[in-house]
Amino acid sequence: MIELKNITKIVKSGSEDLTILDGLSFTVPKGEFVSITGASGSGKSTLLGLIAGLDAPTSGDIIINDKYINKMSEDELADTRSLSIGFVFQSFHLIPSLTALENIMIPLEIAGDSNARYRAEELLSDVDLSDRGHHYPSELSGGEQQRVAIARAFSNRPEILLADEPTGNLDSKNGSHIFDLMTELHSKSKVTLILVTHDQSLAEKAERRIVLSDGRLVSDNRRAEH
Amino acid sequence: MRFVFQLSFREFRSSWRRLLFFFLCIAIGVGSIVALRSLVKNLSHAVGGDARALLTADVSIESNNPFSPTELGTIESVVEASGIATGNNELLETSAMARPLDSVESGVRFVLVRAIEAPFPLVGDFKMSGGKAFDFTLLKGNGLVASPVLLEELGIRIGDRLKIGEKEFVIRGTYESEPGGSGGFQLGSRVYVSKSTFEQSGIVENRSRVRRRLLFRTSANPTPLVESLREKFKGTPIRIRSYRETQENISEQFEKTEDYLSLTGLLILVLGGVGVWNVARVFVEQKRKSVAILKCVGARGRQIIAAYMLQIGGLGFLGGLFGIALAQIALMAGKSAFNDALPADMTFNVSWQAALQGLFLGMVISLLFSALPLLQIRNIKPNLLLRDDNNDKINRLDPLRWITGLGVVAGLLGLSVWQAGSLLVGVFFLAGLTIAASVLYFSAWLVVRSLAGLKKAGGFSISQALNSLSRPGNQTTVILLAVGLGAFVVIAVNSLERNLVREFDFSRNQRLPSFFFFDIQPSQIGEFTKLMNGKLGEKAEIIPTVRARISHVNGKPIDFNEREVREQQGQIGREFAVTYRDRLDDGEELKEGYWWNEIPADLPQVSVLESLADTLKLKTGDSITFTISGKSVTALVANIRKLDARNTRTVFIFVFRPGVLDSAPKSFAANVLKRLPANDRQRLQRDVIERFPNIQIVDVAEIVAVVQKLVANFVLAISFVGSFVIFSGILILIGSVSLTKAQRIYENAVLKTLGARRMQLSTILVAEYGILGLLAGLIGSSFAFLLSWAVSIFVLDIEWSADPVLLVMGILGTALLVAGFGTLASFDVLFRKPLGTLRQQ
Repeated sequence: MIELKNITKIVKSGSEDLTILDGLSFTVPKGEFVSITGASGSGKSTLLGLIAGLDAPTSGDIIINDKYINKMSEDELADTRSLSIGFVFQSFHLIPSLTALENIMIPLEIAGDSNARYRAEELLSDVDLSDRGHHYPSELSGGEQQRVAIARAFSNRPEILLADEPTGNLDSKNGSHIFDLMTELHSKSKVTLILVTHDQSLAEKAERRIVLSDGRLVSDNRRAEH
Repeated sequence: MRFVFQLSFREFRSSWRRLLFFFLCIAIGVGSIVALRSLVKNLSHAVGGDARALLTADVSIESNNPFSPTELGTIESVVEASGIATGNNELLETSAMARPLDSVESGVRFVLVRAIEAPFPLVGDFKMSGGKAFDFTLLKGNGLVASPVLLEELGIRIGDRLKIGEKEFVIRGTYESEPGGSGGFQLGSRVYVSKSTFEQSGIVENRSRVRRRLLFRTSANPTPLVESLREKFKGTPIRIRSYRETQENISEQFEKTEDYLSLTGLLILVLGGVGVWNVARVFVEQKRKSVAILKCVGARGRQIIAAYMLQIGGLGFLGGLFGIALAQIALMAGKSAFNDALPADMTFNVSWQAALQGLFLGMVISLLFSALPLLQIRNIKPNLLLRDDNNDKINRLDPLRWITGLGVVAGLLGLSVWQAGSLLVGVFFLAGLTIAASVLYFSAWLVVRSLAGLKKAGGFSISQALNSLSRPGNQTTVILLAVGLGAFVVIAVNSLERNLVREFDFSRNQRLPSFFFFDIQPSQIGEFTKLMNGKLGEKAEIIPTVRARISHVNGKPIDFNEREVREQQGQIGREFAVTYRDRLDDGEELKEGYWWNEIPADLPQVSVLESLADTLKLKTGDSITFTISGKSVTALVANIRKLDARNTRTVFIFVFRPGVLDSAPKSFAANVLKRLPANDRQRLQRDVIERFPNIQIVDVAEIVAVVQKLVANFVLAISFVGSFVIFSGILILIGSVSLTKAQRIYENAVLKTLGARRMQLSTILVAEYGILGLLAGLIGSSFAFLLSWAVSIFVLDIEWSADPVLLVMGILGTALLVAGFGTLASFDVLFRKPLGTLRQQ
């Protein structure tokens, strides 16, 4: 479970303080699929980064499975990301010097998994890229790169998958393919999925929709069960 | 750990091209160190290994007087008591003039005569031309064996007659190699005659000019024997040497040379280190995103640093291996360049000790210089993937970077001290390097800042070029530092060379005699002076000389069993030609004490030249006991003299008060100033030798030619090393250009989109590197002249003058080099289509 208690994030913009998140509090139960939407600059990506421990809040607490993320050292955060959290970015962020297969292997190797290669090949097959494993990111299309990024995010069987505009750099066909892939993996592995997106149609498919505006939570609705 | 290794391997696979310059920087540095160390080691082996052969025995007992029966008895009993002597002989050595009798036209030559008896040599090889072993029958009946060079110089053949002193000899053969070889600096070539013929011949009238050597071969370490002989002959002019000490001295000299040369190599390696630092800095900058991704998927900062460290250490190792290969190539090149000046049996292979040192140094320098840039990885936050706002923070100097910085300095100091073999030299080297680099860096920074004001002065291209030199992330100061340092070394060496060559320019010093004549007997003075007057129209300067050795200083005998004293054996143990006069010579002045004309004295007095007074730590009032023709003469040091070597005809270390040496057997030396063409010089020597066969002549022009050749070889060797420095500088230049290439490509794409023509872009490129080269040349040349001046005045004590042609050539040469290489390395940028570049941004 993810708990956010009164999260505030203030950054310096020139000589002025800029409040990006302002007293945000909500809880995400294990296995839930949550979408976060909002206008540009509303603080969606910052929020996702704080949950992943990529940055620290100015005030407030982030608690994942009873552990305070904001009180962890850099090494503890690294371990948490390695074992519990997967992240998918809008611009994929694959390591250009590694092949597709090696990019997927990296989190497994960091965690000391002796079957890293076997597991990575399995994941490549899950995202339909078995024949592209030896290709470098620059040799893959945007959609293919994002599929590799998703496979990498799922490699350590995380409890939480954070996706920041995963379809934002893709055409509609590739976008829907990626979305389907994520939701399919979500339902198969029962991970908590938090998706930041501009795309209202994708956001509506989530079990729960959170809307941010100027760093504040303006709406938090669960979809009615069919 | 496995992850670290795997990441390191994968990163290496993809980044090796980018790190190629890093690799080359290390290779050049390691190559220099390994080549220089190996060269000296091989030379030391070739010369040091010959120490026994050079002595032709294991122990040598030497005197300039015939050994008395008592002395011979003592030697015999000590040697017998040691029980290690397995063979002995006596050898006599002197110098004399050789004159062919069968060829009227040929000149005369100064030769070193060695009179030998069987068995000879006790140690070493004596091989005749054609490969046959030396045979004593060749010397029977006035036979003589000479070097082929002497025959060639005199234009004579085997079978011809040669007159040496008063004696005629027949040349029976030439030798291919004599014991100990004939390398090194010697005034004349050696001729071999039999000892019995020599003793009957009266080659030299002055018997004290003959050095007698009793030689022994031993079956065990001769040191105890040498020590007990020295104890017996303490305070006498008899000198005892063993090949072990000679070897020890030679090795020590070579070790020092090797250490100092290695510092030159270390300088090149440190310059390579600057290249490494630059590459690592830009590498980390370019890897920021990858580092953030790795951190995002759970990698720890130190794991990533370890992976890159491993990669850099590995590259340092590979660079080192390549450097060793380069060293081998350089040694072979050295062989072809300096073959004549090096011993014939010298090998030209890389020494494995030098290779191991080079590998180690390459890796350590790589790690030391990349440590600080790599530590920036700790400050790269994974949220950079979401918001790129922590760029400034990665450069901040936190406590760990300070500590690491200090560690790097300590590491460099350790390496310098290790390579120099001395704490003091190591500290001075690093301090000098730091000061030179700081001054160059600061000058570069200052010049770049002042350029900003010139932007408006030039047209579009010049102002764009100046803009490029100060763009964010520019490599201007790094290039100025690296190339400036290269130019600095090369121009400094050239400037020193020119001043050295000028110093040895025979025609400049009007007071440098053209001929020295020795061993003129008192009865010959009148006729000799007349001959000189007739031939040259010049009155020769005639100076009385007496041969003396130092036996005691302040009543304490010179003890060559003491190591410190033994190290100065060549300087203080030798025989000195001393004189007496009642006035200071031109070019001399008193440094300490008074001249004897001022105060009468009852005791003998002597004036000592500053250099030897320093060696012997003498001050006025001290006493020196000399052995002159077997008799002891004790004199008080009345004064210490300084000498302007450029303005004097003769140099005497010891000058006595007139009267002291009245009863000593003396001969006279003479010198004349008139310059003569080569043929006339030979004719004059012939005339002198025909009339006075005992007189020895030194043709100064020949010595000057030898010295000039030595200086030229020295300069060539230093320039060879200097070219490594400039090569490193160019590598760093090319590396720096390629590091900023992406930015240049983008800027050119934008300029092309805005309508800039290819010609304008080319002009910007050439102007940028032209300006950079001019500045590097200017900074390098200025400091080079400063260094050359300081070394000339304070170290070599020679006159210095600035050479404007060299200055202009230095500045323009550097500018052309930088403009050429800089433009070539970025020329392809001009031909890229802008759209592709702009799309990628």
